[in-house]
Amino acid sequence: MLKQIRSLFRVLKSRRDFERGMSEELRFHLDRYTADLIAAGVPPPEAARRARIEFGSFDTAREECREARGLHPIDELRRQLRHAARTLRKTPRFTATALLTLAVCLGANLTIFAVVDSILLRPLPFPAPDRLVTVFNTYPKAGVLRDGSSTTNYYERRGQIPAFSQLAIYSEGTAIVGDTGATERVPFMRISPEFFSTLGTNPAMGRSFTDAEMAMPPSRTVILSDSYWRRNFNADPLIIGRQVNVAGLANTIVGVLPPGFRFLSSEAQLYFPFASRPEDRLPRERHSGGNSKHIIARLRPGATLELAQSQIDAQNNTLEQDDPKAQMLADAGFRSVVVPLRADHVAGIRPMLLWMQGGALALLLIGAVNLANLLLIRASGRIKELAVRQALGASRWHVVSEVAVETTLLTLTGGVLGLAAGWAGIRLLGTLGADRLPLGAGIAFDARLAIVAVVGSVILGIALAVPIAWFNLSAHLAGAIQSETRGGTSGRTSQRLRHGFIVAQIAMALVLLEGAGLLGLSLKQAMAVSPGFRPDHVLTGQILLPRNLYPNWPARLAFNQRLFAELSRQPGVTAVGAVNNVPLSGNNGKSAATVKGYVRPPGQTLHGHYSYGVDGDYFAAMGFTLLEGRFLSAGDSERGDRVCVIDEDFARFYWPHASPLGQRLFEGAEETKDADGFIVVGVVRAVKQAGLTDDAAQGAIYYPYALRTDDTLFVVLRTSLAPESLGSVLQTVVRQTGRDATLTGIRSMETRISDSLITRRAPALLATLFSAIALLLTAIGTYGILSYAVAQRRREIGVRMALGARPQQIRRQFLALGLRLLAAGTMLGVAGTWVTGRAMRTLLFHVPPFHLAIVAATACIIGLVSLAACLVPAHQAAHISPTEALNGE
Amino acid sequence: MSKTADLLPGTLDMLILKAVSLKPLHGYGVLLRIQQISGDALEIPQGSLYPALYRLEHQDFIAAEWGVSDNNRRAKYYTLTPAGRRRLRKETEGWNRLASAIASALNTAPEEV
Repeated sequence: MLKQIRSLFRVLKSRRDFERGMSEELRFHLDRYTADLIAAGVPPPEAARRARIEFGSFDTAREECREARGLHPIDELRRQLRHAARTLRKTPRFTATALLTLAVCLGANLTIFAVVDSILLRPLPFPAPDRLVTVFNTYPKAGVLRDGSSTTNYYERRGQIPAFSQLAIYSEGTAIVGDTGATERVPFMRISPEFFSTLGTNPAMGRSFTDAEMAMPPSRTVILSDSYWRRNFNADPLIIGRQVNVAGLANTIVGVLPPGFRFLSSEAQLYFPFASRPEDRLPRERHSGGNSKHIIARLRPGATLELAQSQIDAQNNTLEQDDPKAQMLADAGFRSVVVPLRADHVAGIRPMLLWMQGGALALLLIGAVNLANLLLIRASGRIKELAVRQALGASRWHVVSEVAVETTLLTLTGGVLGLAAGWAGIRLLGTLGADRLPLGAGIAFDARLAIVAVVGSVILGIALAVPIAWFNLSAHLAGAIQSETRGGTSGRTSQRLRHGFIVAQIAMALVLLEGAGLLGLSLKQAMAVSPGFRPDHVLTGQILLPRNLYPNWPARLAFNQRLFAELSRQPGVTAVGAVNNVPLSGNNGKSAATVKGYVRPPGQTLHGHYSYGVDGDYFAAMGFTLLEGRFLSAGDSERGDRVCVIDEDFARFYWPHASPLGQRLFEGAEETKDADGFIVVGVVRAVKQAGLTDDAAQGAIYYPYALRTDDTLFVVLRTSLAPESLGSVLQTVVRQTGRDATLTGIRSMETRISDSLITRRAPALLATLFSAIALLLTAIGTYGILSYAVAQRRREIGVRMALGARPQQIRRQFLALGLRLLAAGTMLGVAGTWVTGRAMRTLLFHVPPFHLAIVAATACIIGLVSLAACLVPAHQAAHISPTEALNGE
Repeated sequence: MSKTADLLPGTLDMLILKAVSLKPLHGYGVLLRIQQISGDALEIPQGSLYPALYRLEHQDFIAAEWGVSDNNRRAKYYTLTPAGRRRLRKETEGWNRLASAIASALNTAPEEV
């Protein structure tokens, strides 16, 4: 078989040479035979004649030779392709409609598929990526679903879990790098020595970290990413051992990573050792993950996720036996969960992506149904031609293959156009922020997508050929030849098929439109949620202070004071404050707090709360609402008063019936001596920290900034001007106030809110776009089918009109047909919305899965559009002139 | 005419393989060689010779190469490939077995039954 294919391929490579050689060979034979006959005494003209007769037909021999070389099917395909291209060119309107439909539908699918492929399908760029897992602590009953892992976890598990061949810990951050005056902010990771080997990679140059570098004081060693090495050190091959200035301190470069290394969506350019003190590794620190430190591990070959999970569970149980907080942990539902690394990373957007792909496929289905109908109409117009050809001996296979070649040519061309549309679509998604999704940076227009487009187009082409071929083969050919009309009649079954297609199309368009309505309404509901503060006229930015210049709290707090004073002097600034974590920042870490004298009712567990450090006039700047008591003031932070403000959720949780003012609470899970406690001085309205759609009443505590250990710093300005216009002022003031202080992420709170809705806005937008296209396609489809029905029954209408039927009766008849199809489609569609609505429940926000008003509105829109599409043909039918119709075709 | 016999179906391939096994030949040469080695007893339909040659080349039993004929014209010469040689041996054995079986069947006398 292989030999034959190779032989065929040889011929195809130089088809012209093959033909020429064949003619030359046959001619040679004839000439030699003629010469031999002449030599035997036959007169020349007679010899030539006899040679030709004895040889037989030249053309037959040639044809048989081609067949012998396996060229027949290929020649046939070429012929059919030429024929298909010719017929498609002859009907430019049909071809253009079909190609446009295909380009839009395939383009939509390719666009979404590029995202799905990059985020959900393409394996991570590490060896055996499916064996990579992450382990995180969860305390579901305390309202903390993810808490990362602790340094203690890492040291207790390292080498102790047989199911893991490797285990590593990491955290992420941003550092100020470079010499004073020429610094830049660079994202970095702190990693344990096995981090790279767990992922299955190694530094391309130099070495990874050693255990010695995991101890404090920091070893000041660093590994560079390939791109950082190229950009900042010009790919210097002698880089190992040189220094790079991080936060004002010299760090020795010990390694450079291979090109293209990227851990999930991390932007890290520098890698430092995950150094810790012995006391950070003690059992009492076991639950201090705070979702900032994460463990990854590689499963040993043959080990399953379940095995790893059971070993982790077993270890946790053993360790908890002598843990004084064991009961509390059990009450909180504590577990360490082992999950596949990639699936975990993209879990949040997976359902939305799959629904988007589903929507795109529904659109493609609607488009395909339209095409099938158009093709069926076309086929019935050609039935007579087909009948004649079949009568003249065209085989069934021939009829089928001809249809398949034509539809595949159509879909392949549409696929190429769809690729162009997909290219544009991917760029559009880029502007909608798709590259900010997890693994979204890999979304690309590449060869993989082109292959998917071609394969998909061919499959679609063959699928489209099925109903047409079936129609062609089942048509009554004898009847078609005899019938006097040019087009011939098409059977009842093909009419039923076409009408069934329209019903399905209306139903699908309805489901799609209703889905878009649900997503849109969810978005609207989400946007209507109050964030708990007044986001208008608020500008925020994150400030990073180099540790060498601001080594301690007094230095940092002094910087804050200078900054507030300087900023309040700027025109248009009405309030200035600072906080370690603004709402919707993406950091949703929670920590425990203990209320003095509070006795937990049985069954209730410790709760995780948001905790903030605030400085300056943070509450006024952010626009908080005070419910009771007072806000924290700049003075509280300056004096380091042990006071705090709580939010209403926290107050309701611990003091449902009393005022919390004057009560005392403690950071952490234990009540300690009173002097370490914080007195509640105020209650504010709760704000949405994790997102507008996060309904959990988590509770929040606001401490004076000076009493926090977290040195993250966001500056918050309230202005009477447009907030963005103050961006450059803020930038200048920060640079003048603090040496080497950098400011990033300058965004108004309104922008932060709107950005936080991207995973709702983009899908709602796309779904609306898809359903608008679906609606248009449905209108085209309905119009096409009804006009065809009118055209086909032109004579019948003419006769009836001649016999006295009134135009209204004719119009009513066609409108009734349209209405019947519409009614069936709508019923089917409404049933469909009930199913899909329930299935997509997780994507909805404050919208019931079956929303009667949306369903009704959707049905109305579909009904109006379809009716409008019916009106034109029905009107045409009513105005057929009997004489013209009867006079003929 | 009475001296020549029609080819049995399927025997043309065998004869072509035999002819080119002796010496590389062009198409017309194959025709002449078959007539010669069969003592002019076999009539080859000229038109069907070439499809057979092309089929055998397609199946990789013979290989073709352009050369120059004795009267200085370009001609396509066929040679036997290793696969073709094996094929010829198998076909020859098969034919011989068949021929002797038929011969012995036809020579059966009444008393041997």
